[in-house]
Amino acid sequence: MATNDPIVKKDFAEALQSVPKPVLYLVLFLFAGLPLFFPVKLPNKPIDASIDCFAQLMSLPEGSKVLIASDWTNSTRGESMGQMEALLRILMRKKIKFVVYTVADPQAPEVARFTIRKVAAEEAKAGGYGYKPFQDYLVLGYYPNAEGTTTAINNKFLSICEGKKDYPEDSPPMDVLRSPVLQGVKSVADFKDLVLVTASSTNTVVIERVTKVPLIFMVTGVMVPENTTYYASGQLKGLCGGVKGVYDLETLMEYGLNVDGPHKITSDKYSEVIPGFPGKQNEGKGTAYYPSLHFALFLLIIAVVAGNVGMILAKRRAG
Amino acid sequence: MIDIAAQLVPKTMWNAPNNSTELWTRIVLALLVGIALFVGLLNAPIQLRKPIIFTVTFVSGLFYVLFWLYPAPINRQPSDGPRNTFEALSFWISDSQGVIADLTNIIASFLIGLGIYSLMRVHIGKIKKQQRDWEFSVVLVSSMVLMVIFGYVDFYMRLQPGNSKMAGSGYVGWTFWQFGKDLLFNGLLQNMDAGMFSIVAFYILSAAYRAFRARSIEATILLLTALVVMLSLMGLVEFYWAQGVDAMHLSNNFKLDNIARWLRGNFQTPAIRGIDFGVGIGLLAMGLRLWLNLDKTGSDA
Amino acid sequence: MGQNYLDNGWISILITLAMVFMVLLNIMRAHNVKDLFIRRIAGLNAIDEAVGRATEMGRPVLMVPGLTDTTVNAKTMQAINIFAYVSRVAARFANPILVCCYNASTYTIAQEIIRDVYQQEGLIDRYDVDSVRFISDRQFAFAAGVAGLILREKAAATFFMGEFYAESLILAETANSVGAIQVASSTEMTQTPFFIAACDYVLIGDEFYAASAFLTRHPVLVGSLIGQDWCKLAIAGLIAIGVAANSFQLAGGSHNTTSKAWNEGKFDTLPKPKPFGAGDTTLSRWLNPDPAKDIKIERPQLPPDQIPSGGGN
Repeated sequence: MATNDPIVKKDFAEALQSVPKPVLYLVLFLFAGLPLFFPVKLPNKPIDASIDCFAQLMSLPEGSKVLIASDWTNSTRGESMGQMEALLRILMRKKIKFVVYTVADPQAPEVARFTIRKVAAEEAKAGGYGYKPFQDYLVLGYYPNAEGTTTAINNKFLSICEGKKDYPEDSPPMDVLRSPVLQGVKSVADFKDLVLVTASSTNTVVIERVTKVPLIFMVTGVMVPENTTYYASGQLKGLCGGVKGVYDLETLMEYGLNVDGPHKITSDKYSEVIPGFPGKQNEGKGTAYYPSLHFALFLLIIAVVAGNVGMILAKRRAG
Repeated sequence: MIDIAAQLVPKTMWNAPNNSTELWTRIVLALLVGIALFVGLLNAPIQLRKPIIFTVTFVSGLFYVLFWLYPAPINRQPSDGPRNTFEALSFWISDSQGVIADLTNIIASFLIGLGIYSLMRVHIGKIKKQQRDWEFSVVLVSSMVLMVIFGYVDFYMRLQPGNSKMAGSGYVGWTFWQFGKDLLFNGLLQNMDAGMFSIVAFYILSAAYRAFRARSIEATILLLTALVVMLSLMGLVEFYWAQGVDAMHLSNNFKLDNIARWLRGNFQTPAIRGIDFGVGIGLLAMGLRLWLNLDKTGSDA
Repeated sequence: MGQNYLDNGWISILITLAMVFMVLLNIMRAHNVKDLFIRRIAGLNAIDEAVGRATEMGRPVLMVPGLTDTTVNAKTMQAINIFAYVSRVAARFANPILVCCYNASTYTIAQEIIRDVYQQEGLIDRYDVDSVRFISDRQFAFAAGVAGLILREKAAATFFMGEFYAESLILAETANSVGAIQVASSTEMTQTPFFIAACDYVLIGDEFYAASAFLTRHPVLVGSLIGQDWCKLAIAGLIAIGVAANSFQLAGGSHNTTSKAWNEGKFDTLPKPKPFGAGDTTLSRWLNPDPAKDIKIERPQLPPDQIPSGGGN
C-alpha cells in the first residue's frame, strides 16, 4: 500500500542493532546446517565431568549390570541419542547387561528400543557381541508418576518389575522377572550404576530419591549448570552434558585417558591409564553435530557483539 | 488374551490372587464404594465441602509424611514378617507406597477424560459454527481420533501370540495398522516434536541478539562471562588460545577452559545452589500450607 | 529397636522438622503483627499495568500455569493462586482471559478457582467457560497450541508461571513477536535465563513463592514468608558451621591421616593409615548415613503362600 511516509534510511549503527529476524534465522540455518554436509573434526579437550563419566563407565567389571533411566524422546535426539549411543557402545563392548526404564514420557521407551537395536546391530556387524532383547537387556517401559516409581526403585526395585512384560526375539512378550538380566538382582544396589539419560526434570527426582546406587547423569546442554551443582557436591559420579559431553565421550573412547600418543588426554584427577576402544566405531552424533554447535555459537557471539557495537556507536553519536 | 484385572502373586492387604472370587469381590466392592462416595460428594452440603477437602488432603499428605519420616525397615527379606506393631506399620507403609502411587495415576486417568471433553467442546463447537480457523480444529480432532484407533489396534495385534515378530526390526509381519501407526507416531508426531524443539535454537539467537546488551555494569559483566563460557565450548578457539601455555606457568590460569571452570565453580554453581535453597524452602512452606489447609487460595484471599 | 531403624539419616530429618517448625511458628506469630515490610517485586507491580493495557487494546490476557506432569503439585497451585489475582483484575476491567492448561488436573482446579473469582466479584456473567482450556499434555504440542493462540488472539499480556522446560522460549518469543507485556517465572533453574532474555519481568527463584504474600498481604502468607527467611538464615548458618568444622578437621592436608574407617555403622581399624579425606569428616558421616547393609535381623517368617514376589527393600 502506498503511503506518504518518508523513507527512513537506517545508518550503520541502527542497522547493526536491528538485523531482521528472518535474516538472523537464515544465517543460523546455514551455520548450523552446512557443517552437517561437510564434516570436519574439530580439536577437543574433554572436561572433568565427562572424564569422570568415562572413567566410571570404564571401571565397570565385565558382566556386571547397569540400570538406565531413558527419559528422552526424539525432540532432543541431537543430544540425548548421541549420549545413549555412546553409553550403549561402552556397555556392549564391556558385555554389561542393562535394564532400561522411563518415567518422563510414554514416547521414550520406543525411542530407547530403536537406539538399542541400532547400536546392537552395528556392534554385531563390527564383530562384537550381538545384544539380544530379554537375554541381554530389558526395556521395562513407561511408568507414570515419576516420584512414586523412583521411590519404589530405591526401596523395592523388583516391585516395579512385577507384571511387566518385554519382547524376547521372535517370541511373545514374557514376564521380565524371567529374564536372565534380572537373575541375581534383589535390589537396586545390585546394579553397579544408575545412568540417567534425560531431557526432563527427572534429574531432581532421581537425586532426591535414589540413594543406594552410584549415579551418572547424561543431560541436555541447558541442564548442565543445574546438574553441575550435584556433580560438584559428589552426588554424581559423572556428568555428560549436551553435544559437547557426547563429543568428549567419543574423543575419550577413541584416544583413552592418559594413553600415550599424539592425542594424549590427561586429567589431574586420574593417574592410571584407561584405554579406549581404538579402531572401533567411536564417532557418533557428538562428532557429527559438534561442528554445528561450534559454528552456531560463533554466530551467536558475532550477533551479540554486533548488537553491542551498534548500541555503542549510536550512543556516541547521540553524545 | 489380555488378562483383565491380573494381580501379582501377592500378598499384601492391597491385592488378591488372580481371577479369584476374592479379587472380583474386592473390585465390585471398590466400585460400589466409589459410586457411593461420588454420589455422596455431589450431594454434600456446601458448608461440608471444605472440611471434606481438608480431610482428604491431610490424610493423603500424611501418608507421604510418614513414608519419608517413619523409620523404614532395614534389610527386609521377602519372607520376613514384622516383629512388633512398630515394625508392622513400617512394613505397611512400605507395601502401600506403590498402591498409593497407582491411585494418583488412576485419578489422573479419569481427569484426562475431562481434559478431552474441554478440548472437544472448544473445537467441535468451532467446527460446527465454522468460526475463524475452524480448519485447524478439524485437523486436531481427526488426528486425535486416528492416533487412538491406530495405536490401540496396533497394541492389541502385537500382544497376540502369533505376532511376536512384529516387535523386531525390518517390518516383519507388519500390516496396514502397523504401517499406519508407524507413520502417525514415528513419521509425524516424533518429527513434529523435534521440529518444534529445533525452533528454540532460532529463538535463542534472536532473543540473545535483542537482550544481551551492555546497558549497565551488571549487564556488561553478564555479557562478558557469557562470552567466555560460549568461547570455552568452542574447541577450535580453546585449542588455539591454549597454544604455547606451560602447565606450570602462571599463564595456565588464563587458559579458556580454566577461566570457564573458575566461573562455573565459583559463581554459577554457588548462585544456583543459593536459588535452589530458596526455591526448596518456598516449596516446603507452600506444601505445608496446602497440607494443613492454611493456604488462602487466590479465590479466598 | 535403636539403630536398626536408622535408615534415613536422622540429621536430615531433624533439619527438615526444624524448618517446618520455623515456618509454622511464624505463621502463628504473623496473626498478631501488622504492616510487615515486603520488598518490591517489579513483576508483580506490573500486573495491573499489563491488564490495563490489554483492556485498552481490547485483547486478551493469556496465562499458563506451567507444565506439571500428570498431577497438580504445589508449584501449579502457587501459579494458579497468582492467576486468581490476575483474573480478579481482569474481571474488574471486563477483559477477556485465557488460561492454557497442560494437564487435565490443572484444568479442573484452575477452572474452579477462576470461576470462584468471578463469582466473588459478582461478575459471573463475564465468565466464559472456554477461557480456561486444556490444550495438550504433550510438551511441544502444547507449545504449538499456545503459540498458535497467542498469535491468533494477539494476546496483549502473557503470564508464564510455574514449571517450564524447553518450550519456555517458544512461548516467550512468540508473545514478544506480538508485542505482549510478559511476566514470567520458572521454578526450573534452566529456563530462567530464557525468560530473562525474552520477557519484560521475571520472578527469580523463591520470588515466585513470595508472590501471593506480596499481592494479598494475608497474615498466613506473610508469616510463611518470614519463616522461609528464617530457614534461609539457618541454612546460611549451617553452611558457615560446616565450612569451619570441615576446615578444622581437614587441616594438615595430605599429612593428616587416619587409621579408622567408618563401615557398616561402626569404626574399623585399618591395617595401614590412609589420608584423611573429605568423606572421613564427622559432618560427612552424619549427612551420609550408612545403610548398614550387613545387619542381620531375625524376623518371624511368613508362610510360603504369603511371600510377595517383589522382594524385600
